[in-house]
Amino acid sequence: MPRRSTTGGAAPAPGRAPVHAAPDGDRVLRGAVRQAAAPAAVLGLATLLSAGAGLLLPAALGRALDLLLARDPGAGRHVALCAALICGAAALDAVADLLGGTTAARSTAYLRHRLLRHVLAAGPRVTARTAPGDLVTRLVGNTADAAAAPATVATAAATAAGPLGAVAALGIISPWLAAAFLAGAPLLFLLLRSFARASGDCAARYQRIQGDIAGRLAEAVTGARTIAAAGTAGRERARVLAPLGGLSRQGHRMWRVQGRAGARAVTLVPLLQITVLAVAGVLLSGGRISVGDLLAASRYAVLATGIGMLTGRIGALVRARAAGRRIAEVLAVPPVRHGGLPLPPGPGTLELRGVGAVRDGRPVLSGIDLVVPGGTSLAVVGRSGSGKSVLAALAGRLADPDTGTVALDGVPLPALSHDALRGAVGHAFERPALLGATVGDALALGVTDPGREAVVAAARAACADGFVRRLPEGYDTPRAAAPLSGGEAQRLGLARAFAHAGRVLVLDDATSGLDSPTEREVGRALAHDVAARTRVVVARRASTAARADRVAWLEDGRLRATGPHAELWHLPEYRAVFGAD
Amino acid sequence: MRTELPSAGLRFLAARRRALVRLAGWSALEAGHTFALGYALAHALDGGFLAGRTGAGLAWLGAAVLAVLAGALSTGRTYPALASVVEPLRDALVRRVVTRALHDGDGAAVSRLTHQVEIARDAFAGLLMVTRSFVFTAAGALTGLFVLAPALLAVVAGPLLLGLLLFAATLRALARRQEAFLVADEEIARSLGEVCQGLRDVAAAGAEARVRAEAGALIDAQRRAAGALARWSVARIAALTVAGRLPLVLLLVTAPWLLDRGVTPGSLVGALAYLTQSLLPALQDLVRGVGTSGARLTVVVRRLLSPAPAASPSPGTDPGPGTEGGDLPTARPARAPGRPPRGAELAFRGTTFAYGPHSAPAVHDLTLTVPPGGRLAVVGPSGVGKSTLAGLAAGLLAPRSGEVLLGGLPADSPAARALRLLIPQEAYVFSGTLADNLGYLREGRVPQGELADAVEAVGMLRLVGRLGGLDAPVVPGELSAGERQQIALARAWLSPAPVALLDEATCHLDAAAEARAEDALAAGPHGRRTLVVIAHRAASALRADRVLVLDGPRTVCGEHAGLLRVSPLYRDLAGDAADRSDPARDLRDPYRVDTVARPGLAGDRGHVVAHGPVGEVQTARDLPDGRTLGGQ
Repeated sequence: MPRRSTTGGAAPAPGRAPVHAAPDGDRVLRGAVRQAAAPAAVLGLATLLSAGAGLLLPAALGRALDLLLARDPGAGRHVALCAALICGAAALDAVADLLGGTTAARSTAYLRHRLLRHVLAAGPRVTARTAPGDLVTRLVGNTADAAAAPATVATAAATAAGPLGAVAALGIISPWLAAAFLAGAPLLFLLLRSFARASGDCAARYQRIQGDIAGRLAEAVTGARTIAAAGTAGRERARVLAPLGGLSRQGHRMWRVQGRAGARAVTLVPLLQITVLAVAGVLLSGGRISVGDLLAASRYAVLATGIGMLTGRIGALVRARAAGRRIAEVLAVPPVRHGGLPLPPGPGTLELRGVGAVRDGRPVLSGIDLVVPGGTSLAVVGRSGSGKSVLAALAGRLADPDTGTVALDGVPLPALSHDALRGAVGHAFERPALLGATVGDALALGVTDPGREAVVAAARAACADGFVRRLPEGYDTPRAAAPLSGGEAQRLGLARAFAHAGRVLVLDDATSGLDSPTEREVGRALAHDVAARTRVVVARRASTAARADRVAWLEDGRLRATGPHAELWHLPEYRAVFGAD
Repeated sequence: MRTELPSAGLRFLAARRRALVRLAGWSALEAGHTFALGYALAHALDGGFLAGRTGAGLAWLGAAVLAVLAGALSTGRTYPALASVVEPLRDALVRRVVTRALHDGDGAAVSRLTHQVEIARDAFAGLLMVTRSFVFTAAGALTGLFVLAPALLAVVAGPLLLGLLLFAATLRALARRQEAFLVADEEIARSLGEVCQGLRDVAAAGAEARVRAEAGALIDAQRRAAGALARWSVARIAALTVAGRLPLVLLLVTAPWLLDRGVTPGSLVGALAYLTQSLLPALQDLVRGVGTSGARLTVVVRRLLSPAPAASPSPGTDPGPGTEGGDLPTARPARAPGRPPRGAELAFRGTTFAYGPHSAPAVHDLTLTVPPGGRLAVVGPSGVGKSTLAGLAAGLLAPRSGEVLLGGLPADSPAARALRLLIPQEAYVFSGTLADNLGYLREGRVPQGELADAVEAVGMLRLVGRLGGLDAPVVPGELSAGERQQIALARAWLSPAPVALLDEATCHLDAAAEARAEDALAAGPHGRRTLVVIAHRAASALRADRVLVLDGPRTVCGEHAGLLRVSPLYRDLAGDAADRSDPARDLRDPYRVDTVARPGLAGDRGHVVAHGPVGEVQTARDLPDGRTLGGQ
């Protein structure tokens, strides 16, 4: 596996300098917008019309009220207009709600499909740059954030039109009203703001105590068996929960702080509205406006405070752009290109010519020339960091060499079609990731499903059949219900490779968790029951190397020597490689 | 635990009546502010601005400002009252999560603790706030309408009620869509998480297409769930329109009639203000908030309370015959201080155990007795069921058939607990002092002298020195796996239990340290213990009186020399040690038992006795210290 850069620490920062030109996040967003263009356009229109209806309604209500109070026979027409505006706005809101939901869903799905397709096409190259956890965030969270872009853009006009229109309407009724609103708004806002001292303090304490409890729990969970056997669960529970009282105290404090903030928030709009009403009342007393105007003004004052919504929309757009950039970073990783050649007939001879690899600007392999004749096994040994795993990855094209070529039965690996390559070469790892709903599914993962019989045979060869049958539902046990030890997971990983590989098996430290009898048993099965006869085995144990036909001894990324284990064993430095065992 | 969620919720709320009353009290004050706004506006118009008395009008508006400030005060006070309901829920959920995590040994619980519990807390608070806000705003507005003119209330009440009924009718379906959406979202996160973790494996297997299809199907399913949710949300708009907007139209339509019946212009404006400024926003929050918060709360709480899909079978299934004798629990002197416990017998009688109804048994019809003070080593390839055996002996697992007896008591009975101790491979060390950790299996404080003896016995003087003494704090993460195992062994040494089960408990120690620890544990502070060692090295087998070779149907039990003859697997496992770089170290044994397989040598009088399906190899009882040996 290509080593992940260790320069960035555990969590790579979102803006980690990409190697290529800065990826264009906005282009990703534009793509999403284009893809949802039609519904987004309708959405924009619906929200705009709804905002328009909302702006007209107070005026129509006011007019209707005036006519009703005056017992004007024309009042009926205005009441009907109000009814039409109310119903129209409701219908438009329904359309907007529906389209808003479906557009976001559509864009999310579009972005997720696109990113997933790319991630799968680029393969481990992606996780070499972006930690898996971070990548999940991009695939799940960032796509959803970015997918808000089309709807946000589409509704931007309406969001702005409502409050701005309301201020204008106030001005139309009387400039004094607009002035009262515009003067009062910032004043009140500032007044309230000065009180609001964000108290992140108790939130931080809350999280610290929460972390404390989580830490104690994590600790106790590792001792679950000891605790169960000792019957000390009650004591452990008390120990883990000891800080709960403090958590509760901080929680109560948080609510009090929030209550103070909430109290301020709920005063803002009514006070503004009353300010406008007071001015309107004075105007009404002076006969400058009607009762209907006053009613309309009080409504417009509220609508105008909706300007606060704009900040929310801008926030969403900023988030969407940031998310778009993070998606684009992943999209900038070039996908793996496969050729179209089928596999020629052959014994599975693997040939490495002048192979070199660079990781993080440092050569980790150079000048490797190796031939693994079909049907033979090659052990790759060396101290940790000598490039064994990189060599294993190159041998099966989990990565491409920076120099030189790797060929299988005379065909360079990049020239082979995807299915031909993956059908011929199988990999097993020290820590396999098992994917699939059930244990059986996990073993069947490959270019094609080999069928239950082949899966069981492969499991038997990997000494996994026995313990799989002891699982609650055998091969149909959901993986979540099958906690596996390291050695068991390794055997499943081996079985998966056995079930699929046609010619070559690359075992990257894939038997390190097996006890020696089991490892020997697997070795015997490899020789007789597994289709792929050419094997490249990264070995840490001397006994594993001893079983291989030949050993390639790596040192600092170069081939120190090749030959049978028994011959190399005479060299003290070679023996030192296994010293740690 | 699996009781209906609504009734559990009601019970929870009923237990917090006082906090709810307090919440309602402050909310009622807040409702006063809603009431005052419309009422003051009506009077400001009728008695002020419309009557040409500007001052009176402004005074009424001033009164409204006071009401707003009073309302804000009570809003501030509702939060602490809310906390008195919400925080106990969080506490209850945390307790639940912790209790279950300790029971299941489930590491995923930590994320539940920090993430899901917080979602539940927020959703519950949101649900309460939205509902509370609607109820009291509606109360304030409706009271205001009634006070202004009862006829106003009559016009408004009908559609409001109808709309609320419509909302209530669609709420369940809406919440179900919301739930489906949340579940689909989680499903995607889980699946894509797996894919990202296993990208290398997917590429190696060439399974990109299959993974893309499977994860893609989830993406599409989530999109469909979001679409269904969006479609159902149209129902919300309909309810909102009927409940909040229709009264407005009705008020206008009936206005001439209302005016005829003496409703003043101010009252009409006040009524319109109640509808548009108070009722409609509260309704909006209600229809948007209840479905979302309610569904989130339901999903999360259900998940937090539901049992995890664990592989462990429920203990206590068919305890089998021979469980009588329930009067024994307190008869055992195991915990009585100062009285040295004698070894107890461990017996398997036709024990069979499987992890599921359809799975092959991990232990099949095992019959075996380890006498008091006896020493049994268990060997076998990994995954063959050695830990299962230890779990059965420790009473952590209940046999499907047959029985496991400790000192004559069923191993999974509470009374047997004091008789045995189990040290698993993953040694448990917690943050606390070293003395706390060592005295873990004892009640009360352990005298310094005994602690020192334990440290000496398992050979961890250097570790104690490095940590800074027995009262120094221990940070588990800073200890090596071997150091943690030493602590667990010293702890076990101090335990009064007469039976010790070591499940690869010494795998991170070197061979010499392992030998020392095993011997110390067997000798014990108060007399010889019964010792069962799930062996990591072949040398453990050499130190035991008898060895159980677990190998499915070829399981055999006997002495080392005899087993070398009859069990190819045992030969393999024992020969394994000889393969190692330093065979002398691994096979050195304190009893000078011949370590080389020499079948048929004089003195090797082993013979296989059929004993259930387990071949029993009985050999001469002639070990150096002449102690009693295994066997019936």
